Amino acid sequence: MVGEAPTVLGRVWIHGPGEIRVGHRVVLDGRVAPIELHAMRGGSILLGDDVVIEGGASLEALQSITIGAGARLGTFCKVMDNQHHPLRGNRHERPASVPLVVEAGVTVGSRAILLPGTHVQQGATVAPGTVISRRIPPAVTVGGSPPRVIRREVAG
Amino acid sequence: MNARLLPAPLTSVMARVQDLRESLTPRAERAVALARARWLFRSFQTVGQNVAAYGPMLVSNEGAVELGDRLTFVGGMMPSSLVCHEGARLVIGSDVQFNYGVSLESWVSVRIGARCMFASFVRIADRDGRTTAPIVIEDDVWVAHGAILMPGVRVGARSVVAAGSIVTHDVPPDTLAMGNPARNMSLELVSRESGA
Repeated sequence: MVGEAPTVLGRVWIHGPGEIRVGHRVVLDGRVAPIELHAMRGGSILLGDDVVIEGGASLEALQSITIGAGARLGTFCKVMDNQHHPLRGNRHERPASVPLVVEAGVTVGSRAILLPGTHVQQGATVAPGTVISRRIPPAVTVGGSPPRVIRREVAG
Repeated sequence: MNARLLPAPLTSVMARVQDLRESLTPRAERAVALARARWLFRSFQTVGQNVAAYGPMLVSNEGAVELGDRLTFVGGMMPSSLVCHEGARLVIGSDVQFNYGVSLESWVSVRIGARCMFASFVRIADRDGRTTAPIVIEDDVWVAHGAILMPGVRVGARSVVAAGSIVTHDVPPDTLAMGNPARNMSLELVSRESGA
């Protein structure tokens, strides 16, 4: 399902039998490298209004990925809600998915990796190259691996 | 043409053609991948059986490259690259899987064991502009998305390198390495046996 006035530049690859919903005025800029939207069986990718995704970003959903309104994903971001392989035991079976949420107004830098269980709250900023796998409080800037709060926005 | 308007036999024939196509497409892709791998890796000293390259790759060999059996190079948004410089060695064991965008560069020696898994955008180079030292990756290692292995690193058997990690020191066997710089923690403590 696609909302009004989407902008698609360059290449966008859409794979898989899952569900992809795109809000209004979404910009998918795949000029640098193709954007990959991969919703596997039973998975759903929900992009809110005014979401901007830059080239080379890859979203892979086995269960659910939600990107809030006005969020921006930088180049070569990786967003996945499943680890695809268990840490121990038989590497060919799939571990359970954990839904992934990126709330409204979030900016994700380029080459950041959002792992299963990520919940980036409203207005937070993710510095380039950060690896996240848990909740990030609203209106802070996080960076590094493991991630740390770099800056806290002053209230008001 | 609308499928509902067609007489029943024709739709069943079309359905059968569709099934046939769906069953044949993976085989055709496999055949193309095997042929592509044979062409891409023609300059390598040894290439095992059933080596498949599912997408374009950048390959350059001036040293000695040995590939094992049943390797898979998955294609994707970025081509993988395999570079072996003059006098260098690049050895890859059997049953190793590479996702797209993997960059392997050898100036002295890079050794990869059997049954390893490399996710997308992994970079392994034994020279970083300052130091040059051989890299050894033992069997059954899983290197996750976007990890970088620095020169001189030895990754032990069955270890896991987490996504986005930068591995600067050796990783013992059965260990999870994560972070920048990567810190090691025992897989025994981090996770339970499969299914948990």
